[in-house]
Amino acid sequence: MVETLQNLALGFSIALTPGVLFYAFAGCVVGTLVGVLPGIGPLAGISLLLPATFGLDATRAIVMLAGIYYGAMYGGSTTSILMRIPGEAASVMTCIDGYAMARKGRAGAALAIAAVGSYVAGTVSVVALMVLAPPLASFALRFGPPEYFALLVLGLLVLAYMSGGSMLKALAMAALGLLGGMIGIDQMSGYFRFAYGVVELGDGIGVVPVAVGLFGLAEILATAGLATPPSVIKPKLRELLPSRREWSASAWPIGRGTVLGFLIGIIPGSAHIIASFVSYAVERRLSAHPEEFGRGAVAGVAGPESANNSATSGAFVPMLALGVPSGPIPAVMLAAMMVHGVSPGPLLIKQQPELFWGFIASMYVGNVVLLVLNLPLVGVFVNLLRVPYPVLYPSIVVFCILGVYAVNGSVVDVWIMLVMGALGYVLRKLDFETAPIVLGVILAPMIEMALRQSLAMSDGHYGILVTRPIAGALLAVGAVLVLLGLRPLVTRSLDWRAKLALAGTKEERL
Amino acid sequence: MLVAFAALAGSVWGQEPYPSRPITIVVPFPPGGIADLTARPLASALERALRQPVVVSNKAGAAGAVGMQSVAIAKADGYTLMVAVVSISTLPEVDALFGRAPAYRRDQFVGIARLNADPPVLVVGTEWRWRTLKELVEEARKRPGEITYASSGLYGASHVPMEMLLHAAGIRMRHLPTTGGGPATTAVLGGHAALWASPPAIALPHLKSGKLRALATWGESRVAALPDVPTLKELGYDLEYYLWAGLFAPKNLPAGVFKTLRAAARQAVGDADFRAAMARVEMPIAYQDADEFKAWWDKDALILAGVIKRIGKVAEK
Amino acid sequence: MLTTDRVAGAVLALLALVVVWESRKLPLGSLSNPGPAYMPVVLATLLLACGVALVIVGGRAGRLAAVDWSEWRHAVAILAVCAFAAGALERLGYRATITLALAFMLGVVEKRGVVFTVLFALALALGSFLLFDTLLRVVLPRGPLGL
Repeated sequence: MVETLQNLALGFSIALTPGVLFYAFAGCVVGTLVGVLPGIGPLAGISLLLPATFGLDATRAIVMLAGIYYGAMYGGSTTSILMRIPGEAASVMTCIDGYAMARKGRAGAALAIAAVGSYVAGTVSVVALMVLAPPLASFALRFGPPEYFALLVLGLLVLAYMSGGSMLKALAMAALGLLGGMIGIDQMSGYFRFAYGVVELGDGIGVVPVAVGLFGLAEILATAGLATPPSVIKPKLRELLPSRREWSASAWPIGRGTVLGFLIGIIPGSAHIIASFVSYAVERRLSAHPEEFGRGAVAGVAGPESANNSATSGAFVPMLALGVPSGPIPAVMLAAMMVHGVSPGPLLIKQQPELFWGFIASMYVGNVVLLVLNLPLVGVFVNLLRVPYPVLYPSIVVFCILGVYAVNGSVVDVWIMLVMGALGYVLRKLDFETAPIVLGVILAPMIEMALRQSLAMSDGHYGILVTRPIAGALLAVGAVLVLLGLRPLVTRSLDWRAKLALAGTKEERL
Repeated sequence: MLVAFAALAGSVWGQEPYPSRPITIVVPFPPGGIADLTARPLASALERALRQPVVVSNKAGAAGAVGMQSVAIAKADGYTLMVAVVSISTLPEVDALFGRAPAYRRDQFVGIARLNADPPVLVVGTEWRWRTLKELVEEARKRPGEITYASSGLYGASHVPMEMLLHAAGIRMRHLPTTGGGPATTAVLGGHAALWASPPAIALPHLKSGKLRALATWGESRVAALPDVPTLKELGYDLEYYLWAGLFAPKNLPAGVFKTLRAAARQAVGDADFRAAMARVEMPIAYQDADEFKAWWDKDALILAGVIKRIGKVAEK
Repeated sequence: MLTTDRVAGAVLALLALVVVWESRKLPLGSLSNPGPAYMPVVLATLLLACGVALVIVGGRAGRLAAVDWSEWRHAVAILAVCAFAAGALERLGYRATITLALAFMLGVVEKRGVVFTVLFALALALGSFLLFDTLLRVVLPRGPLGL
């Protein structure tokens, strides 16, 4: 412990030198800008700006790239809250309650809570990263396909808590999303499924066009033609910050989201995407007012945003400790470090302690910089809502098109967004919730791949899914959850969903 | 007057000197891979050689087919280039295997230069007891189809060399396809698969830290960074396979543009910054000019096509 | 009675049947070695079950005729703009496409003044191009004459 503190002191002595601090700051500014823009997430942001760091020495370059990475993750929530455009899969859940808060005039509060939640999550998970990286990393490696399958099945159970309406309708939407996720090349056999000669569908339908269509575009389709369009919200300065009630309602969700996100984030693969979904479900389940979710619950912003940010720190654990990238974004970060002659892994900590600890310390510094930078920006961004809706919505449509196109430079993605927008609009009219579709599209290819990889490993024996300890334990947890869900059928007590339905009918009568 | 008019007409009718506007290099993969890591420093070096901005555009999808198709049908004016890797030879063969219309044909491209060529390294997790390839092959003979190897994807750049080796040695193993080099490494490090044919750049840090052991390489000569690891040729298997990256353009480039690009590529490969970047990511430059590259590529593609046919449709076995 | 749930359920069930029919070209495989058609068929069966169940229990949901579609003109106009943009983006180039799309939405759909419409559309199209393409080097398509 003493040694860790000494190392950290070394790290801070590097991170706080004016030269390094400047690049941390520059990285955070650029990252925030890039993250706010639709279509350029952390992935594109890092690779776009990588050449700009070629001239710098390794420590400065990596500190700057880490700043871009963090900044882009922060910025992602802004468009979700203000315009209901999720820039990436991780912001999908923020869209729902964040946008609902914005419509109630609490956009400033939502943005501030998101920034503070991200700050807490970022800082706490760096501590965890520093102290727990080596032991956690070797644990994370034991997540092979069977463990992954079990984890994803748990993720599917999360669906039960994602929507407040009928369970059957949520399940139908999830099945629709899962089927949508089947489109594309089958990774285990090479067959093209449901692509009808469109090469661009080879990797399946992307999460970003699906989410932007179902959330951003569908919202505009449903509201643009209303006789009374959404009123212009003129935020007052003192209403920018969250109220005391909002703070206390978000404290626990931020804490839980941080822990949950970090644990899910360390698992190699793309499991970190589901961190924000799981956090949303957990908060809804634990909340005393589940009926507020979907209509602007602060916890529905605080939890997922914190989970999202600590999952990104968690993803650094296998990368720094073992040198294996967990997911596409750490892969780009790893590549960027290699271009600067740094190869992460167990040897990095021993051979280049000043770089490793400088990097860790600069993460603390970066989080503070981002908070200082983003809180004043809340006031700037919220003013976007002063634009009259008939002018604002055409601009949002353009941002949807641009953002979706910029991800892959593909017109097919724009078409997918269009179809999803129309689908989301009709489903909304028919009173179906669309979030389960997004989760289905994300999970389907991962679950299928994990299952079939497991069977390839075991030569077709399903026993591999329960005999391996971690996988077996996860599936047992899932079974318990299902049984708990069935309990109301036996005891005839009202569960939260039934109470919700009652509250709904009461509201209608009023 | 007449001269001025001729000059004006020249610029209007496309006689303007090449290059007179920004050039795009398409990378048909997401950021962070071998093609991307080669293309970005190359773009900076080409920018210095051609005195025009050179931007990298990632057009990922369908294992690279999306980006390659877009370049295949792009205008052959020298403003759309591509950095592609060995899979450019195998994807049309996979399409043919499944009776699909190919996304592109190999002859729709012209190679400007080969940039690097690395033989993969056969790596096993250190918890397995095989110290040499011979021990591994003997065990695989005793337990056919029981040892598991990982790959970066079905019919992909690390599946093909494994298939070549298994065929030459007359052994069978279980195949665990994953979704890339990172996941394949993780599978071997975590003990979920025993081995895989890894690019040296990915394997080196783990070889140094003692988590992985190298048994052989697919090159003609040993890998500079791994002087103790024998080649398959030394071990009695007449096999060669390289993970290479090259600079391509759509075919039928105007002769002048082609000449300019060849010269620029030669200059870029000699660029100190480019060399330093390639050295740091452990991907030594293996430059070939267009003619030499074409002959080599044709030969390489022919061998790989045979391997894909031999693998066949996995789902029907 | 024709309710929203029943109609949606019927459509979903129909879609599931289409997926099962379309999966016939792919090898199904077996339980221990699932082929490419295995998961789609399993999921389509699940969707079919959900759809049928919705048709059966959906009698209490709102009536289809009661759904208010009053904003459909705007919705169709915006979808048409998106379709135009998707089709034109790589033919006319980003700047021309977005200017036209914005001008249509502002000028025709929302009936804003001509001067405002043209200026706003041009400013947003050119500004976003400058930011993305020129400054950040995210390649956006150019049309004829390099526009």
